Amino acid sequence: MPEKRVPDEFDEYLRGDSALSRQYRRESAPAPPHALDRLVLRQAFRSAKSKAPLQSQSLAPLAFAASVLLSVALVLAIVFGPQAARRADDKPRVLQVSVYKTDPPRAAPASLRERNPAAWLEDIAALRRAGRDREADNEMRRFRSAYPDYLISVSE
Amino acid sequence: MLPGMDLSDDDAGLMLRYKEGDAAAFCALYAEYKGPLYRYLLRHVRNAGAAADLFQEVWSRLVATRARYEPRAKFATFLFHIAHNCAVDFFRREVNLRGEVPAHEHHEPPLEPEVPEYQRPDRVAEFIEQQSALLAAVAALPQEQREAFLLREETGLTVEEIARVTDVPVETAKSRLRYAIRKLKKSLSPMQEPEVLPLRTYA
Repeated sequence: MPEKRVPDEFDEYLRGDSALSRQYRRESAPAPPHALDRLVLRQAFRSAKSKAPLQSQSLAPLAFAASVLLSVALVLAIVFGPQAARRADDKPRVLQVSVYKTDPPRAAPASLRERNPAAWLEDIAALRRAGRDREADNEMRRFRSAYPDYLISVSE
Repeated sequence: MLPGMDLSDDDAGLMLRYKEGDAAAFCALYAEYKGPLYRYLLRHVRNAGAAADLFQEVWSRLVATRARYEPRAKFATFLFHIAHNCAVDFFRREVNLRGEVPAHEHHEPPLEPEVPEYQRPDRVAEFIEQQSALLAAVAALPQEQREAFLLREETGLTVEEIARVTDVPVETAKSRLRYAIRKLKKSLSPMQEPEVLPLRTYA
């Protein structure tokens, strides 16, 4: 039966000891030209000499660890950060608001306040008498900054 | 499997070493596989110029993808899968360019380098003739059957590995190889059988 013989031949062939395989191996064995060898090897060497390729797969665990670290840091910041402390104080508060009919009094530096206004005005008058008007004007500006509501007589 | 051809995982180890930049490992791989790969391409596409181009393309792709190489299978499976894809691209380009039946469907004689006359003494003339006949029969096989046979003969891959290389089910690969063997045996059998001459009687 020829149908039964074919599988046997095929099995024999797969075992590697068939006459067909032996005959094929006896065939001439052409090899690539030497010029082709040189081309391929040159390309392979150039690639090997270049920097080791960045291996995305080897960096994957590092990237994953960094992501986890950042996520944990973010969660900790949200849960235990300063915003959370303030949230505990989030009770209703009564704010005291001052309303002025005119402009509110402006704060002046303490060092300027410490100076006696009358004596200060006297010094300014002395500067004017001495002809040092620029210095007198500067001093007057400082005086007004320190005592904006102080009433100055016309003579001064 | 060809004598002296080692298809163990050592080759995968060599490829891993080349992946890390060891050029000597590539040399070892190249020395081992350049012959089988070249013959596979030459006898599959049946065009020496195209085979040379594809040969270079296969190694270029291997070099380019070395960073992504993972030894999931035999190195031969990996290399010849690249070669299979290059050959498929070649046949597809050929069809597109010519707009006709690809050359592999024509029954052309194989483009094997001929043995010079001085290497053909009369004592081996018959043997040489048989070799040519076998290659002609291989070249006349349908493309898929020819590829299955060449993969088996040039690399020693199993049917399962041939299926993996050619992206087909195992049964398909087995069927292709079985048909190839049957056809080759049929085409060669008249030469292998001793010629029976009729007895002549003279009065």
